[in-house]
Formats: sequence, structure tokens, C-alpha cells
Amino acid sequence: MTQTTHPDVRGAGPGPGEARVVSHRPGGPLRRLTRALAPLPWIAPATGLILFVVIWPVVAMFQTSGQHYSSLGFDMGSAGWKNFTRLFAEADLTSVMVRTVVWVVAVVTITMLLSLGVAQLFNKQFPGRRVARWALIAPWAASVVMTTLVFRWMLDPNNGAIVVFLHQLGVVKDFNGTGSNVLANPVSAFCWEIFVAVFVSVPFTTYALLAGLQAVPADVYEAAKLDGASAFRTYLSVTLPLLRPALLVAALINVMNVFNSFPIIYELTGGGPGNQTATTTIFMYTTQQTNIGEAAAMSVVNFGFIIVIVLLFLRASKWNSAED
Amino acid sequence: MKRRLLALSAIGVAGVMALTSCSSSSTSKATTSDGTTTIKLLAPDYGTAGGPDSSQTYWQGIADAFHAANPKITVKVQTIAWANWDQVATLIQDKQYPDILVGDAPQELAANGLLYPLTDVMSQSTISNLIPVFAKQEETSGVAYGAPFTTSARAMFYNKKLFAAAKIAAPPKTWADLQADAAKIKALGGGNIGYGLPLGPEEAQGESFMWMLGNNGGYADASGKYAINSAANIETFNFLTSLVKAGDTQPSPATTDRKTVWSDFAAGQVGMVGGSGALIPIIKTAGKLQTTDWGVATMPGKTAPLTSALAVHDDITAFKAGGHAAEVKQFLDFAYADKYQIQFDNEYNLLPATTSASTSLTASDPVAAGFLATVPTSVVYPNTANWNTLKSKIQQTIGTGVQGTDPSKVLGGLQTFATSNQ
Repeated sequence: MTQTTHPDVRGAGPGPGEARVVSHRPGGPLRRLTRALAPLPWIAPATGLILFVVIWPVVAMFQTSGQHYSSLGFDMGSAGWKNFTRLFAEADLTSVMVRTVVWVVAVVTITMLLSLGVAQLFNKQFPGRRVARWALIAPWAASVVMTTLVFRWMLDPNNGAIVVFLHQLGVVKDFNGTGSNVLANPVSAFCWEIFVAVFVSVPFTTYALLAGLQAVPADVYEAAKLDGASAFRTYLSVTLPLLRPALLVAALINVMNVFNSFPIIYELTGGGPGNQTATTTIFMYTTQQTNIGEAAAMSVVNFGFIIVIVLLFLRASKWNSAED
Repeated sequence: MKRRLLALSAIGVAGVMALTSCSSSSTSKATTSDGTTTIKLLAPDYGTAGGPDSSQTYWQGIADAFHAANPKITVKVQTIAWANWDQVATLIQDKQYPDILVGDAPQELAANGLLYPLTDVMSQSTISNLIPVFAKQEETSGVAYGAPFTTSARAMFYNKKLFAAAKIAAPPKTWADLQADAAKIKALGGGNIGYGLPLGPEEAQGESFMWMLGNNGGYADASGKYAINSAANIETFNFLTSLVKAGDTQPSPATTDRKTVWSDFAAGQVGMVGGSGALIPIIKTAGKLQTTDWGVATMPGKTAPLTSALAVHDDITAFKAGGHAAEVKQFLDFAYADKYQIQFDNEYNLLPATTSASTSLTASDPVAAGFLATVPTSVVYPNTANWNTLKSKIQQTIGTGVQGTDPSKVLGGLQTFATSNQ
């Protein structure tokens, strides 16, 4: 570490003896090396930091996935591909993978559609707009764990606010009875988890899109109006294409966030019953309690997912800048 | 910006240095030149950290008395809340071993060669005073590597108020009775729960075991081999499925933790629940039920109440790394005195691990006496080396077997996991 932060101290200044003679000759190999290394003191800390906080954990994760760990956590030597074969032999893995795709697609799609509408609304002048804009920040500013806990309490089968309301409407017959615990049934629980995820994702997405909308120059709308375009046509052919950079960024960040999201599912159901509401992130966590190596293998698979998504995005954004 | 990064990386370097210095200090010898020795004791907090019932107080009291009697030995006490007990695994992975560890079962640690055999760290008179059913549990291939320290037995708690309201005369003896009684309590309405069935991740292995025992099943057969998917166990889970389907339990057993069911029972909303002495302080704190409002009965079985209750225990183990066998032996013999055993049980409503303390507690505490009577014939968890890992798997998955997934599939999966991870 010390070496990378203070690289080549001897080479940077004139050293004793021979080195000084060499450094006087212009264009010598050492001089060239010195010049090449000159930016190092400036970029080395950042590079070091990235190596330390990004690359090292990734390497450690790959290493862990190839090791056999005892249940106490002691490294028992190489496991070869055994952690991966065990992972792929898990009966629940397929359903967990499918659920993860459903989770990401559903949450991001609903979030994007809702946010497009809300951003459009917030881009218009109306009384109380400032208050409304501030209010939207609340779910974003609050800790996700906190928001999720509030929802879990509201869904308590005995006295949760939502359940009490549904009881008053006559939808729920008995407190603590069948039908009162929406988090017990994997399907309804997962729907609620998607709802909470959308709830916490909409504010950021709305603001990202709102910024995009505000960047659209007014004269293009004027031109569209002069050409006699309908409101719908204007939205489709003017607003959406100009909003594409904002849409892409918002979508990518949401995909990564939602894919990696842990607290919502963990707090509402813990992935249960069994693994019936778990995504790959939750599944990785529960696997870690029985087999660290296998959990690391799951992390590697997750990492692969994310890399693929990022590559797809980079491709999409290149296509985007080429068209502009 | 760059300067900040430089500062950050400097902090990183300093952090790494601090970490390495921490780990190196732990290897330093605890015996100083003047012949005094310090041994480290690590224990879970059964009470609230910093509160009047903290286990830190209990252990510090013993440590001080011990130091007064043996001025050359100092016992350094550290307690960690049960909720943060994961930290112990980290300490052990980091090779920062205590001399004495309270809480964890010895099998896994012994398999890794970390522990003293019990005979090295406890004198024969103390060992022979341990309750046999638990002492037997400490063995790994015939050698005990730990001692039970505190125990508890399970029984069924029932709410006498709800029983009276539902016109039920006596606590149920069979599964059929239990189902009928649970249905009556549920029919009272008002959100009352017939039987609280916690098969969520907290304690699913205990609740499941109690039900398996009612059908002469269990996790292992008579020869000690895993038999999780035996016909008897599958039948048990089929019965539980019917109980859940009929709405005689709370709605979602697979995601309900024991603490939730216990606090619902303490709030007076649950007719019957499997419990141990640890439920009593929860009932008292809630203040909804008077002592006369609840009773304890033997857990019903398929055709008759259980003849052997489920009993669990927490252990004391001693690590070899520090090399303080003699000092640990002196301390453990001191700490297993009846008065300290009974002090612990009175504080937390648990049961003692020694025969002599059980005898005197039976004489003085009628509630504890009821539980203690079941201990000699009680059944304990398997003492296989992979039980801890299997337990996590059971906690995660077994609940699905009462909520629509075919029990033979769930239990079969656990059996495969148990036998393929030995």
C-alpha cells in the first residue's frame, strides 16, 4: 500500500551517484520512465482505493466460491467446482431465478410507467406543486428498512392498519384468520413486496425523469404545435425520444438497485415460507447460513447477472449517442 | 478531491494496521511474570445488556468471588447479546478464542480440534453431578468436550380464561382433542388463535421435534441415524397441515417466529402454545394474564400425552489455545456450585444442569419442579457434528411442510441434506 501511494520516490528526484549523471542527459531511458510515471502520484490514491474497495472484494468473492469451508467458517482447502454443482443442484434455484427476473421486470416496469406520469404532472404548474414535490421525497429519504417495517406492521393479521381497514370493508372476515395474513401466502406476499419496492423506487425515478423533462427545450413543442401534432403524437414523437437519456439512466440504476434489493423481502417475509418469496440476493443470504462456499458461488452468479446488464446498458447508450 | 482520496487511502492503511495489531495482541501470553493468570470467559446475555438482569452481572459476581478465593487467577468476563451471537463465529474464525465459551454445543468445535476434553477442565465430582441425559449429549465419539450449563424443558402452556370461555374442561391429551379444542377457541372470534404453531426460522426445529415425538418419531432413529422423512414424521406433518388448513393455528406457521407466538400468548390471544420456563417472564411483563389464568400441561401426542418431553440445554466449552486447563478447571468447579446454578435459574426461569441443584430447586419452586420432573426421561436434539448446519436448514424450510408443500418432499429434502453433509 505504501509503495503504491508513494511510487518510485527514488526515480522522481535526482538520486545519488550515477543516477544523477543519467538524469542530466535529456531523453535518457530513465527520464522517459520518470515522465511516464509522473501522473502516478495523482492517480495512485484513486487507483489504490478502487483496488482496495472494489477489486479486492471481487477477487475474494471468486476465491471464496472455489474453497471448501467448514460450518465453523474455517477454510478446508479447494473445493473445485463443488460449490457451483451444489448450487445448481438446489431444488429451489430455478424458481428463485425465475422469481428474480419477474421481480426486476415487474418492479422496474411499474416504477418507470408510474414515474413517467408523475414526472409529467410535476412538470406542469399547479397550486401546491412545491408541497407535492417535497412530499414525494419522503419515501426516498426514509430508510428502506423503516418503510418496510411500517408496511409489515400495517399488514399485521391481528391489528395492522390495512387489515383493520379491509376488515371494516368486510374483505377480511376474522382477525388472525385465513385470508387475514397476506404475507403468509407466497403469491400475495410477493405482490406486496413488489408494491413496496415500487413505492420506494418511484421518487428517485420521478426526479430523474423530471430533470430530463425540464431539459427539453420549449421551441420543439412550439414546432410540433405549428405542425398540428396532437398531444399524444407530441408526447410519442417529441417528449419520449428527447427523454431517452434520462429514461435509460433511470432504468439502469433501477434495475441494479432492484436486483440487489435485500431489505424489503428480508423484512416482509425473509424469503419464506421456505424460499418461496426469495430472489437470488435473499437466497444467497439464506444459503450462507448453511454453506459459505455455496453462497459465494451464488454471489458469483449474481455478479455475472449484473455484468451482463451493465454491458447491455453500455451498448444501448452507445446506440443512443450515435443517433443523437 | 485528490487530496481527499489520499487522506482516505491513508485512513485505509491505518485501518489495516489497526486490524493487524488487534489480531496480533490476542496471541500474547495471559500469564504475567508474578504468576497471576487471566482467563477469558465469553457468554451470551440471557437478559438485557446493561440492564439489571444482564448476564454480565451474574458472571462478574462469580468471577469476583472466585478471584477473592484465588487471588492469582483473574477471570475476564465478556457477554454478547444472543441477537448478536454471530460475532462469536467471527471471533473463532479469526482465531481469537476465549478460554471458556458459554452457549454453543461442543460437537462442531471439537471436530475442529479446538476444545479440551471435559475431564481436563472439570473435576470428576463436578462431572458426576451433571444431569446424565444432558451430559451424554456432550459426547463426540465417546468423549465429552463440554458440559451442560443451563437447561430447559418444553411443555404446553394453555390459557385457562379462553378454555373456560370455550367450555373446555381439561387440557387436551391427544391430537384429536387438541384440534377440537383449538377449533372451539378459534370459534370464540375476536382474533383468538387456537394453537400457536411457530415454524418460522427462529425455533422451527424445536416445535417440529415436539410434534414428531408425539407420534414416536424424531430426527434420528433408535440407532442414532437420521430418519427425518420417516413414515411417522410424514404423518405428523400431514396432521399439522390439516390443523393449519382448518384455521386452528395462526395463519402462517412457516413465517411465524416463536417470540411472536409467545407474546401473543402473553397478550391472552392464544389458547395453547408450546413453551418453556422462559415464557413465564414474558407473561408477567405483558401483565394481561394473572398466574391463575394460565396452566402448564404435558404436550399432547397422537394417542396420549408425550412420555418424554423435549429438553434443551446450553453448554460450556473450554478452548485449548490459551493453555489454561488448570485455571479453567478451578473456575468451572467453583462456578458449578448449587447457589450459582440456582441463582441463574431464578433470574431467567431456566433449569439447572446439575443433579444437586435440581433437587434443591424442586423443593423450593413448584413451577420449576413440574418442568424438572420431565427432565430425567427427556429427549434431546441429535449430537451429530453437522446438527448445527442441519438446524439452520430445518429452520428455513420445514415450515413449508404444513403450508401446502408435500411433507414427504420437504422432509425428504432435509433427510438428503442431513446425510449428504456429514
